Amino acid sequence: MIRHDVALALLVLGVAAVLLACLALLTLPGPFPRLHATAVATSLGLPLIALALAVDTGPGRGAVKLLIIGLLVALSGPITTMAIGKALREQSARPRERRTS
Amino acid sequence: MNAWTLAAAVLLVLGLGPCVVVATRGDPLRRLVGASLAGAVLVGVLLLLAKGFDRSAYVDVALVLAVLAPAGTLVFTRLLVEENRPGEENRDDPS
Repeated sequence: MIRHDVALALLVLGVAAVLLACLALLTLPGPFPRLHATAVATSLGLPLIALALAVDTGPGRGAVKLLIIGLLVALSGPITTMAIGKALREQSARPRERRTS
Repeated sequence: MNAWTLAAAVLLVLGLGPCVVVATRGDPLRRLVGASLAGAVLVGVLLLLAKGFDRSAYVDVALVLAVLAPAGTLVFTRLLVEENRPGEENRDDPS
């Protein structure tokens, strides 16, 4: 079944992208490179996984729902990245005193 | 154990592990990066488990998480930024 093979290939690619992002999160130095690592997972890995699931389910309402979930993650990734980046910039511009909390 | 549940298991161990490690060390904002990526990875894990167990209704759980996890991250950033400004409103006010 060719459709199942295509879905498996997409699944392997998506899982590989997400794993690469998670390992990069561990190894990259500093907060800003780590933010870039999250972008690999949200805008490449998860949409690929959702696309693999949609291809395997075949045309229908379920596939559309899976694709919408992939789109949601792909759209929300840059938004959260920008928010965290702004907060990091404000924090680095004004280093706060260490408080015990 | 089919391909979907195998992929979910791999993502749970090798994907969530680094995220949890990052989310438990260092500065609050740096930990938030790990937490937000953990949310995204969990959306994928839930989708794969729904497929692997042949329960299409479980996809709704992943849908809810895909909506709520970024919202939670945005709330956390707001709170951390306000925490960094200890009681100095109108700092940019020229008057």
